[in-house]
Amino acid sequence: MAETATSTVAFAFEVAPAIAILPLASFVIALFAGKYLPKRGALAGITATGGSLLLSLWVMLTVAGGAYYNEEIYTLVSTPDSFDLHFGLLLDPLSALMLVIVSLVAFLVHLFSLGYMNDEGEPGLPRYYAGLGLFTFSMLSFVLSDNLFMSFVFFELVGLCSWLLIGHWYREDAPPSAAKKAFLVTRFGDYFFLVGVVAIFATFGTATFAGAESFPTLAEEALAGSGGAGGELPTFGLSAQGWFTVLGLLVLGGVLGKSAQFPLHTWLPDAMEGPTPVSALIHAATMVAAGVYLVARMYGFYALSPTALAIVAFVGGFTALFAASMAVVKRDVKQVLAYSTISQYGYMMLGLGAGGYVAAVFHLMTHAFFKALLFLGAGAVIIAMHHRQDMWEMGGLKNKLPVTYYTFLAGSLALAGIVPFAGFWSKDEVLYEALVHGLNDPLLLAAYLMGLTAVFFTGFYTFRMVLLTFHGEPRTHTARNPHSLGWSVKTPLVVLGILATVIGLANMTPIAEATGLEIEFLHTWLEHGLEGVNSEHYGEVLETVAGYSAAELSPLLAAVFSLSLALAGAGLAYRLYSGDRPEHHTDRLGAAKRLLTDNYYQDEYQVWIAQTLGTGVARASDRFDQGVVDGVVNGVSSVSLFSGDRVRRVQTGIVSNYATLLTLGLVALLVGVGLAGGWFL
Amino acid sequence: MILELLIGLCLVGAVVVFVAPNRYASKLAAGWSLLPLALSVFMYATFDGQSNALLGGQLAYETMVSWVSLGPYALNWHVGLDGISMPLVALSTVLTTAAILAAWTPIEERESQFYGLVLFLEASLVGVFAALDFFVWFVFWEAVLVPMFFLVAIWGGPRRKYAAIKFFVYTNVASLVLFIGFFALVFGLGNSINSLDLPAIAQALRTGQLSAVGGVAPETLKVAAFVALFAGFAVKVPVVPFHTWLPDAHVEAPTPVSVLLAGVLLKVGTYALLRFNFTMLPDVARQYAAIIALFAVVSVIYGALLALAQQDLKRIVAYSSVSSMGYVILGLVAYTVYGVGGATFQMISHGLISGLLFACVGVIYNTTHTRMVGDMSGMADRMPVTTSMFVAGAFAYMGLPLTSGFLGEYFVFLGTFGADFPGAPWFTAIAMFGIVIVAGYLLFAMQRTLFGSFGVETDHAGSGAVTDGGERTHNGRRANGGEHEHGDVISPAAAHDIAPLAILLALVIVLGIAPEISFAMIRDAVSPLLAAGGGG
Repeated sequence: MAETATSTVAFAFEVAPAIAILPLASFVIALFAGKYLPKRGALAGITATGGSLLLSLWVMLTVAGGAYYNEEIYTLVSTPDSFDLHFGLLLDPLSALMLVIVSLVAFLVHLFSLGYMNDEGEPGLPRYYAGLGLFTFSMLSFVLSDNLFMSFVFFELVGLCSWLLIGHWYREDAPPSAAKKAFLVTRFGDYFFLVGVVAIFATFGTATFAGAESFPTLAEEALAGSGGAGGELPTFGLSAQGWFTVLGLLVLGGVLGKSAQFPLHTWLPDAMEGPTPVSALIHAATMVAAGVYLVARMYGFYALSPTALAIVAFVGGFTALFAASMAVVKRDVKQVLAYSTISQYGYMMLGLGAGGYVAAVFHLMTHAFFKALLFLGAGAVIIAMHHRQDMWEMGGLKNKLPVTYYTFLAGSLALAGIVPFAGFWSKDEVLYEALVHGLNDPLLLAAYLMGLTAVFFTGFYTFRMVLLTFHGEPRTHTARNPHSLGWSVKTPLVVLGILATVIGLANMTPIAEATGLEIEFLHTWLEHGLEGVNSEHYGEVLETVAGYSAAELSPLLAAVFSLSLALAGAGLAYRLYSGDRPEHHTDRLGAAKRLLTDNYYQDEYQVWIAQTLGTGVARASDRFDQGVVDGVVNGVSSVSLFSGDRVRRVQTGIVSNYATLLTLGLVALLVGVGLAGGWFL
Repeated sequence: MILELLIGLCLVGAVVVFVAPNRYASKLAAGWSLLPLALSVFMYATFDGQSNALLGGQLAYETMVSWVSLGPYALNWHVGLDGISMPLVALSTVLTTAAILAAWTPIEERESQFYGLVLFLEASLVGVFAALDFFVWFVFWEAVLVPMFFLVAIWGGPRRKYAAIKFFVYTNVASLVLFIGFFALVFGLGNSINSLDLPAIAQALRTGQLSAVGGVAPETLKVAAFVALFAGFAVKVPVVPFHTWLPDAHVEAPTPVSVLLAGVLLKVGTYALLRFNFTMLPDVARQYAAIIALFAVVSVIYGALLALAQQDLKRIVAYSSVSSMGYVILGLVAYTVYGVGGATFQMISHGLISGLLFACVGVIYNTTHTRMVGDMSGMADRMPVTTSMFVAGAFAYMGLPLTSGFLGEYFVFLGTFGADFPGAPWFTAIAMFGIVIVAGYLLFAMQRTLFGSFGVETDHAGSGAVTDGGERTHNGRRANGGEHEHGDVISPAAAHDIAPLAILLALVIVLGIAPEISFAMIRDAVSPLLAAGGGG
């Protein structure tokens, strides 16, 4: 940690814990004092997340100045002979970037909630703001984590917050059920993650991400055979490489759950039962990103295992296509966005698995902004539509809600990947990385092709959504007379709209390649950092250990592929849905539509596993327990009861009789044993 | 003498409350129980023990008085605390106060006897954890059963007689088995010991003083004694397949008694396993580690599956205790600092959390008079504070980080995964699946009972079906029509119902954030066990 060992630690790093603690304070205030406050805790949340945002920006500036931080700050348990468990901060370009993303979106969502929740006269507002505060605290702490143990702790806590907020409207039937499903499915993934965390401790004796004693470094040393502490690690009967792959895949279980990747994606569409600002914050921009962030955070470890990387890439590419195809037929605007979110996280996984670390982080960033924008835009539409979400009841909102329309359009162009909006640059770079590495690896190439096909679907469902919602003639009375929107709704939309338009300029790889300008700012940003946790090092490891090699190919060519597919998808949507009275074209898909609206029966088989199989085994166990295990016990006792029928008179119910018997029995026992043991000889 | 003072305070309190008039009994008992509680907190704060109670070293609050001489064996009053027993003593006093407060509402007859027995139970429990002489220990061990029997048999539910007798007979047979097992060892040790002092016996056994008895080789004798002791304690824990008394006892017991039963009584079993089997006979424990781990894993998974099949909230929590205690056994087998220390931490943590959950179920039962999951829904509206506590307790039970429930299980997993018995990673990984099942049944139960539109069906006299879903839901999306007939039957809980929940929850969170409060002393007491047990 030569870089951090300067004599004076930057002041920004000393106050960095406050980034997480401020929202924790707003959680406490909203929980205990929320009902006495004028906005029921909203103002505390806005202040706290605003403070977090400013501090995060300050940290980012400090990191930009070349200072990093990797320190323990609180030890939960220390054991002299075994490993310690601690909380610590790892502040480097990756975490600083993520801090700004999370705190910015959290701040905007708090602001938006004033319009979405407060103005609508919701009951339970203190609970809502407490949940948001706790979530922001947990998510920021997760980002700050310097070790996998701490990551797991806050990974679970964001899961709790997700449960609380999805189930916010607990008086209805659907939200509590959706909350349960979300928690259970992600918990199933977290089970593997937890096994992975425990196994990483058992293997390396540490779970820190960065530094000479971190587990990625130890693993790298073990593979290089360069002796040191990493020389003789327990690998549980496998080769070191094989065991590290197993560890990576175990942690990946948690990633698949949280980032809603196939086959653990089924909870996310249901999670749309929660309030829309919650969907924007948790189920689009931040919590769902936790899985991808985790892979990025320990990328030095994944980069050691080509098998794990290939699986990450393949799952990602498959999920991108699979989810995009389901988004095509949805009627509910939030459902379209939910499947789109799953699909977009698939791209990030594809990027990571294909060796495009920077590309994936880039897409994580742009997606956080444009998807938060789209969800908040959808939230604005839902307010305007008096809480109707079916796109077929909308139409023609373009003129009634101009701010919403233009910002939503910016987000949609970004999502579809149309130049020059944010999503174009980032998605294109992900696909480019997958392609250049895929040309030397058929599995990656397959993943790339799935991702590329998904671009077409993305263009289609995005513009189908825009056209159905905002264009054409209003199809219902509500759509003709929408509810007006306040400043607290519009401000976040405008901020995010600008970001969705311009943030892609941070990393224009094709332009850079074509012109030779040094404008790949994100590449530069992620290249520096602590030793062993920066993109430069990851690139080396990918080449030397995982054996990745990139084919020579112009990024412009790849960009032309994906842009033309996106335009084709958008164009098809425009042809089909642009009229004043669009038809239900998806009906023509026939049985395929049925398959898509039923989500390929993914929910059915998972519910079957959980309910029929799970409770079936449980009931069988219960019958076995009552009949056999307890049956034996009762059988033994009835034999003795039969013979001792008269002894039943002992059961007089008189306290003193029992006490006497007990004492006598004890004495008799002692005497008996004493005689046998020859005490009294 | 402070430990004697603690036990004496409980006993005197028991007598005083027993003869007090019924109308004052509840308040008197609650007030009196604060004395041992305060004393144990003081003892905890000034605790200066350094080592394991059975393996020599500095103990806290130790007393050794020669009592009587029985044949070749001297009986001594020997008590003292180490880092394993101190937290358990504190747990007993905390849960006793919590249980007494939780009893104010439901216990409406023969109060003075009830509270007197509870305080007597407290004295016995503290005695079990403090005793360092077998005779003293066994007297307290058996004395625990007496108040428990009456508390279930008198104040219990409809099948209380069956449950109480089953509990009593089952655990007494177990006591007999463990008694025989222990004395086999005593005879095997022959002249190398001259008292039933547990530290002396433990050290003699660990230094290989055991000789053949009646032609049985020492090695065989050890294994036989281990099996007998294990079987005896396994009933108390309970380990599958010796668990069937537990759900019956829990369901029939009044809720405050369930709090103590799950919270402390089960720990008596694991505590004894740790003291006898795993401290005195470590080589046997290590030799058969895989078999013991199998029992542990079966308890975890099978217990969780049984909990999944239940409809009665109390049965759910009862079976889940079987599951949670499986983790304790698994941790003990590991012989690592996180394994054994984690097992001890899990005892404390599970005591607090299961106490909290049982108390929550009790508060709900007090007003709904049903515990069946299918009979109620939407309680969150009517009992918001209780619901919050229930939710927090349930998540702690599921192992949510920053609660003690997470750390207890996590320590065990950390300690066991890399342990050196065969198949350790596999046993650990399979047992860990319990965290998914526990989430399944608790989330399901919460969703059904706490959320949705409000409604209660109960055969309790004077109520009948109560529904009230008329509250405005989200923006008029869907509001349930409802009858208001009996809306007043379900009311928020009183402050003295909430107080024990809040205390327990606070402790669960504090221990989850600052585990060193108890893990530091646990570690000191556990370390000698690991160092000395290294041979195997």
